[in-house]
Amino acid sequence: MRNMPPTYRILPVIENRSLGPYTYLRIEDPEMLLVARCGHFLMVGFSSSIDPFLPRPLSLFEVEENSFSILVKVRGRGSDLLSKTREGENLKILGPLGTPFNPPESGVLIAGGIGIAPLYYQSGWMKSGKLFYGTKKKEELILTREMEERDFTVKTITQENGGTVCDLVRMNKNDIEGEKIFICGPWDMIRALKEILGEFATNAFVYLERRMGCGLGGCKSCAVKTNSGYKLVCQEGPLFPLSEVRFD
Amino acid sequence: MIDLSVNLSGIKLKNPVILASGVWDLPYREIIDFDRLGGVIYKGVSLKPKEGNPPPRLTETPCGVINSIGLENEGVMNFIEEILPTLKESNTAIFSNIFGESIEEFSKLSSLIRDVSGIEVNVSCPNVDKGGLLFGKDPNIVYSITKSVCNETDLPVIVKLTPSSANIVEVAQAASDAGASAISAVNTFQGLVIDIETGKPLLKRGVGGVSGPAIKPLALYNVYQIAKSVDIPVIGSGGITTYQDALEYFFAGSSAIQIGSAIFNNPLAPIQIIDNLKKWMERKGYKNLKELKGKYE
Repeated sequence: MRNMPPTYRILPVIENRSLGPYTYLRIEDPEMLLVARCGHFLMVGFSSSIDPFLPRPLSLFEVEENSFSILVKVRGRGSDLLSKTREGENLKILGPLGTPFNPPESGVLIAGGIGIAPLYYQSGWMKSGKLFYGTKKKEELILTREMEERDFTVKTITQENGGTVCDLVRMNKNDIEGEKIFICGPWDMIRALKEILGEFATNAFVYLERRMGCGLGGCKSCAVKTNSGYKLVCQEGPLFPLSEVRFD
Repeated sequence: MIDLSVNLSGIKLKNPVILASGVWDLPYREIIDFDRLGGVIYKGVSLKPKEGNPPPRLTETPCGVINSIGLENEGVMNFIEEILPTLKESNTAIFSNIFGESIEEFSKLSSLIRDVSGIEVNVSCPNVDKGGLLFGKDPNIVYSITKSVCNETDLPVIVKLTPSSANIVEVAQAASDAGASAISAVNTFQGLVIDIETGKPLLKRGVGGVSGPAIKPLALYNVYQIAKSVDIPVIGSGGITTYQDALEYFFAGSSAIQIGSAIFNNPLAPIQIIDNLKKWMERKGYKNLKELKGKYE
């Protein structure tokens, strides 16, 4: 697939609202729709700020005609500041970055927590599928109705209700046979899923996240260990075949 | 008409802004117009490929960043065969940064590299167990490495120094005495970030190198001390993100500057620095960079 070169631009936030436990930021941009593909991510930085110094790697969440959106989970100072960006304020946007891919017409998506963000974007490129989705609490489950409207069968689980998405996958393993599988969530979940999926893991792909400095293959920070040595998430990812990823 | 060109002991650059080693790779050409830059220094290469340190390799610090990449690179032959021909498509001065774990490795590397504007000798990396700043702290070793590199190549030799040495002026003097054409000062400062959830260092290797605006006054002082003590030009680096930062470096005695981690914060920083420097000089009535250099004596 042809990958359009990324651009670096200062763009205004035009909407900031809560979506479950997350902050939904919509950014005005007439160009993203022309270039964005599955697997793309952005480096999102603070306008005219050297503290926080680094931009944050974030998945595309929605791309519309004149805007795109990202989903922010507050984890530290940077994401907290990002979540408080007001409408009209500018952000530095570098992207789209990463290696895009063509998703299948149908497949299985497995999301843990905010891992739903890139999978929701991916579902928009698919005709139908199955979503297995786990969060800590019930109020953290978002977009289940929208996913159903996209012809996805949705199965959810929460930790307060007795289980993780790994349990959900284990219970529904028959539904997964022969399907292409896409996973996004915490590292421990990915590691557990590799074991649970067993032979099906050869059909599975995983969105990985790493601390990133640049997003352009310059700083060599976002290395992930694979069967063929370290690979950079920003260049060869963020999507990797699950069978390639090393957990040792 | 403002003249931004510089001449570093015979290395002619169209302007003083150089992209530092270790922060960029080829994809950056899609964002930064390399034709506009004074020069670019490609990431340190060693004789054989190095896979680098285990992650996490980088995290943010107040007004900066700390890294422990460990000189991940594809080796010198990849640089010569794959990278250099691509970089040559740009109309800018290209420098190669070399890293060896022994004097012999530095010699061998410098004998292989041709067709660049100069070789930057890395004796200042904080993130390796052999070589790096362990060499760069010792004026005698820096003298020997510089001498052997200068013996192997006709290209201009730049020596990149660590701020970790007890006396950086002495090390700079040693490099100059051994035949270096210029000094790059400084590489990152050794630093530490601890993850309070685990009580352990956040970077897998523990110690890392700090860069960005946080180190600017520290780096600037090193540059000032070197510039007033050695005769060869100093290429200043450390926390430069704006033209105002660049001006401070020129006033402190830098002949040129390197932009490093600033491009993570703002990839267009090098270009903006060139444009804004020019505008500032026009406004203030300066005609060339020589008029600025070392004003603080």
